Amino acid sequence: MDGAEVISLIKKSLPDFSALLVSQDYRDEIYLKVSPQVFQATALALHKILSSPVMMLFALDERNSAGVFVINAVFVNSKEGQWIIVSMDLSQENPVFDSLAKSIHSASLFEREIWEMFGITPQGNPDLRRLNLHDEVWPKGNFPLRKDFKTMMPGDLGEYKFNRVEGGGVFEIPVGPVHAGIIGPGHFHFSVAGEPIVNLELRLGFTHRGVEKLFEGKSFFDALRLVECISGETAFAYSVAFATAAEKISGIVTLEKTAYLRGIFLELERMYNHVNDIGGIALDVGFSFPAAYAALIKEAILQLNERLTGNRYLKKVNLIGGLALDLDESKKCVLFDALKKIKNDFNELVKMLDSSVSFMDRVDTTGVLIKKTAQDLGIVGLVARASGIPTDLRKYFPGIYQEAKFKMIPAEGGDVLSRLRLRFFEFMESCRLIEEFTVKLGGSAETKVSAPAKPETSALGYVEGWRGPVLCYLKTDVHGLIARCKIVDASSHNWQGLTYAVLGNIIPDFPVCNKSFNLSYPGNDL
Amino acid sequence: MKIVLILLQLLFFIVVAPFLSGLITKIKNRFRMRQGQSIFQPYYNLKKLFFKGEVVSETASWIFKVAPFVLLASTLTVALLVPVFIFSNPLYQMGDFLALIFIFALGRFFLALAALDTGSSFGGMGSSREMFISSLAEPALCLAVFSVFLQFGSINIYVFSRMHGVSVATLAAAVALFLVAIAETSRIPVDNQETHLELTMIHEAMILEYSGRSLALIEISAQIKQMIWFFLIAQIIFPITPLAIHSAGLFLWGLWYVARIFIIVIIVSLLEVLVAKMRLFRAVDFLGFVFVLGIIASVCAILGV
Repeated sequence: MDGAEVISLIKKSLPDFSALLVSQDYRDEIYLKVSPQVFQATALALHKILSSPVMMLFALDERNSAGVFVINAVFVNSKEGQWIIVSMDLSQENPVFDSLAKSIHSASLFEREIWEMFGITPQGNPDLRRLNLHDEVWPKGNFPLRKDFKTMMPGDLGEYKFNRVEGGGVFEIPVGPVHAGIIGPGHFHFSVAGEPIVNLELRLGFTHRGVEKLFEGKSFFDALRLVECISGETAFAYSVAFATAAEKISGIVTLEKTAYLRGIFLELERMYNHVNDIGGIALDVGFSFPAAYAALIKEAILQLNERLTGNRYLKKVNLIGGLALDLDESKKCVLFDALKKIKNDFNELVKMLDSSVSFMDRVDTTGVLIKKTAQDLGIVGLVARASGIPTDLRKYFPGIYQEAKFKMIPAEGGDVLSRLRLRFFEFMESCRLIEEFTVKLGGSAETKVSAPAKPETSALGYVEGWRGPVLCYLKTDVHGLIARCKIVDASSHNWQGLTYAVLGNIIPDFPVCNKSFNLSYPGNDL
Repeated sequence: MKIVLILLQLLFFIVVAPFLSGLITKIKNRFRMRQGQSIFQPYYNLKKLFFKGEVVSETASWIFKVAPFVLLASTLTVALLVPVFIFSNPLYQMGDFLALIFIFALGRFFLALAALDTGSSFGGMGSSREMFISSLAEPALCLAVFSVFLQFGSINIYVFSRMHGVSVATLAAAVALFLVAIAETSRIPVDNQETHLELTMIHEAMILEYSGRSLALIEISAQIKQMIWFFLIAQIIFPITPLAIHSAGLFLWGLWYVARIFIIVIIVSLLEVLVAKMRLFRAVDFLGFVFVLGIIASVCAILGV
């Protein structure tokens, strides 16, 4: 699909549609600039044509160069493997735009974020409470992602209002943000009638570190180190997403070998996280033997990571233009031997869990997220697949995955058991993929290509991390340094799914539902 | 002499009870392929807690402060009713099985009140769950006790602990008691002592607000309670008369006396590792099963098998 085809498709539902600018700098990115008046209608039309949730919606402050705020909405064309970015300029005097959230639910949290970070008002959005900049500590009138923001100015503080559920026998249970275990901070506000949950509202943002601001003015090289620190257990996927965007901007065409090596490490990351979650699900229902067994498998994978790369969590492995290391024959042997043992152990673990009646009783039919709800909320990644939505960037943008005959089997049911079974399946599939990739890995000594960053260019980097898509939009300034870096983790889409999955479940089943999603706090809070 | 024996028995429970908890944890960790903490860790924990300051909620009343003492006092009172030593002790005659059930209930009642007292949402959740579980456990327990009465003509613990012979009725009653004990000592599959997940807790949720010395009192009470249950079950499944020295060597007798407690400890540990915790409302099925076991025990006792 090229720009003209996109426009003709949109015209079917919007006869008098016209774009101010259409460009396609990269094969997989179509960029449509529209006027603010038709932005909402265009986004809605694309949302329906592509049946894609709003994958990203973010603002850029370009008042210095062009005197405007820019809003970009990103949709994915799953059939042809393309991203479609709809963009508009807003005047700096009156930054207001028509809210998408009324028609597209997946836009609502992004709009709240745009409002709190830039002070741009999404007109008509019914819920403009702060997300990450908590009212209790962050005075009104401070918009940190604006370029002229230097330091926080004093001002009025506010108070966050939770949605209330009223009625006989309904009471509220606030949980967190500090929990009894060593886990990420998040506030869960339950309304319950007895034990069953009537409503759950999340309040996140406690690990907000201003990551997007930190990127500003950094070179790609420095930023690569930062991006690995955003969410520790997804470090490699983040760095690949960032690197692909940076490579597009610099005009680097990576070697085929790079794709295979990245594929191997991405799947290793997926494996250790999946087995960790499987153990976590077992532990959360008090089933401690399989939990300990899963911990052993995870440790084996982490040790394998260390032997291959020198780093258990695959940090400092990826570079822009290639990788910092290569897998020679001896390392390939290590990899194959370890995988064989890991696979055997994993099969034992699956057997153990599948054959335990007490365990199955806990996970079957618990925490159901039905397909319709998941679609409406724009759920992505593993959680979406477990609810029967066939969505996977590895399928949309096949490349090496197609050659390796990657299989995606969406589970059905959407309960904890489906998410667990999907992890079983994906773990084994990852094992197979790694073996395929390793065999195909070329022998050329070259591992890295390099080129300087082009100034004032933008690109979108993406990769299917173990939770789901990790997207990274990059734009450079006149010096080739980063002007804006927007990162979207699958968690920011999926946290909403959790609040619907737990409805009707009893309070003591919440932890296992939560673990079966296992979403990231730092990846969401940024 | 009497006083010395009474004090000795109290001391025995207080000193040994944490050891049994430590032992269970150690066995569990070994099953899970882990080194695990030292067997004596519960002692270190108690020592640490006794010398720590306490934080008390501003909304808490006197009940919050009194509850740990009531709990410990009631638990120790029950401990005096359980035959442990080879000598007869007049206090054994003072209370029967029903007294045991309701003295325990007194401690639990105060703990549930104290949990509500702080105004924390977890305390309320814990109290309501604990009461839910015990309202199911108590009838089942009473029925098991009833079958014991039918068999031995008495529910005095000392009297029936001197009885010989294992029958179907005693076995069924013992299994019923064992399952109730699991619920009462908040172990898997009913509750999970090890969990950090505040939303799934039952007993732990009630004591979440306690710290320092009060927490130490509650912990040692829980440990003593667990030990009492183990001794009672051992007495019913593996009856051993306190005056049996004449029939066997003292050494063998002592070995068997200790071994039967270990057998129960190992069964409890295995169960904790190999079974997932039940859904909260499955506890109804679980304790319903115990109730049926109690009926079977009673019928068997009437039939004399």
